[in-house]
Amino acid sequence: MLIHVLNGLVYGGLLYLVAVGLVLIFGLRQVVNFAHGSLFMLGAYVAYATIAIAGFWIGLLAAAIVLALLGLLLDRTVFRQLQDQDPIVTVLVTFGLLLVLEDFVRTVWGRDNLTVAVPQLLQGTVDIAGASFPIYRLFVIAAAAVIGAGLTIWLKTSRVGLYVRAFAADPVTTGMQGVDTERVSASVVAVGAGLAGLSGAIASPLLALSPAMGGSILIESFIVVVVGGFGSFSGAFVAALVIGQLQNFGIVFVPSIASMVPFLLMMAILIYRPEGLAGKAS
Amino acid sequence: MSLLAFRDVDSFYGRAQVLRGVSFEIGAGERVAILGRNGVGKTTVVNTFLGIASLGKGEITLAGKPSGRIRNYTAARAGISVVPQGRRIIGALSVKENLVLGSAVDRKGSWTLERVFNLFPILRERQDTSGTALSGGQQQMLAIGRALMANPALLVLDEPSEGLAPVIIDELADVFVRLAGEGTSLLLIEQHISLVRRVAQTYHMLSKGAVVESGTLAELTDEQLKRHVAV
Repeated sequence: MLIHVLNGLVYGGLLYLVAVGLVLIFGLRQVVNFAHGSLFMLGAYVAYATIAIAGFWIGLLAAAIVLALLGLLLDRTVFRQLQDQDPIVTVLVTFGLLLVLEDFVRTVWGRDNLTVAVPQLLQGTVDIAGASFPIYRLFVIAAAAVIGAGLTIWLKTSRVGLYVRAFAADPVTTGMQGVDTERVSASVVAVGAGLAGLSGAIASPLLALSPAMGGSILIESFIVVVVGGFGSFSGAFVAALVIGQLQNFGIVFVPSIASMVPFLLMMAILIYRPEGLAGKAS
Repeated sequence: MSLLAFRDVDSFYGRAQVLRGVSFEIGAGERVAILGRNGVGKTTVVNTFLGIASLGKGEITLAGKPSGRIRNYTAARAGISVVPQGRRIIGALSVKENLVLGSAVDRKGSWTLERVFNLFPILRERQDTSGTALSGGQQQMLAIGRALMANPALLVLDEPSEGLAPVIIDELADVFVRLAGEGTSLLLIEQHISLVRRVAQTYHMLSKGAVVESGTLAELTDEQLKRHVAV
């Protein structure tokens, strides 16, 4: 049983890292980014390319930095222009961006699935409650926990974190206090994109890399954001953990309907608590 | 030095023109009121130098310099703090965090968190609660404290008496008089005439987006008030 819980934490941790980027970008730019799963996918490919040259740890770092820089570029050229547009325009443009990024990866790395080896330091298994569990999966849980805690501490205790929370709640008043809201937004989009890239890199030894790999995590990340409450960091955290467990236990105990379970949860939330787990009823 | 000046300013929300050729100037240590009925464009004066309404014709100078392209942070960085109409307290932040947000421009001066808490002790008591959990009067104190945290050269107060009990308005008037006595320049946008008479030295009367009268408060007659302010 404990092994199943840990496997649920692995998936929940990855979901949280992707979903929190969606929350950050939506909170500050009011843009629902359908290309976010592609940033996860691109992070995995950047890691694949860098690991071959410079090793696993540099690969993780490179994925985070390259995707953060791409986030800055996307903020300036796409998200900033979309923030006051009709939602349908946002959907079309970010979905188009998803297709462009997937085609870019197909052109550079081809259509075949690629694999990334687990680094030597994290190979092997440990015995937990009589069952063996891969060390790399424990690393994924720890990394998600550390990054999630770091992000929470940054948002709660730093000046920039205060500006981010203020801006997400009321951009006009925040600007009125002298905060350069464009710069804060650009930084936060970079952090969100960097986290998506980093989670793609962390997930790369667990998954077969393909240009379409961003699709499924994007859908489940959206479910996390809806279940948690749009714009809520703590809600996304709780929802990612719940969906990670539901997904994993579903695969183990009711495999025929496992893929439906997150959707059923989202439907129930939308019907009975549309503001999400952490949202406030309006 | 002029802290804020409008010269022949037209301003717009989209295509709708609100201000028409508005001119006025506020210098260091001055206390100026903008008067007029609801809907004549008083708040649009504020929204124009905050970049919320768009500047058409004319020029705005902030701290003696032409504003150039106005961003939402431009006025604050020029030493102008605004207590906005409706207060705009951020409920996602605590009272203390709302105050700290006010110091984003990092201007040197005597206003600190401690001094704001001394001015409004209730804010110290409730510093960890959500900003919007306060009463209307306390939220107005928080909005004023937040503006003071920027150590402004000019404090702009947009309808500070709105929705408040007379006793609270009297307390706030005492605070404004005290701030004025310490040399803070004030721009008061208000319909509560007794508050205006206590705080301001000069006025500009707005009607249909244009300044129709200007002068000292001592010269302002009940007849003029009836013509331009009374409903």
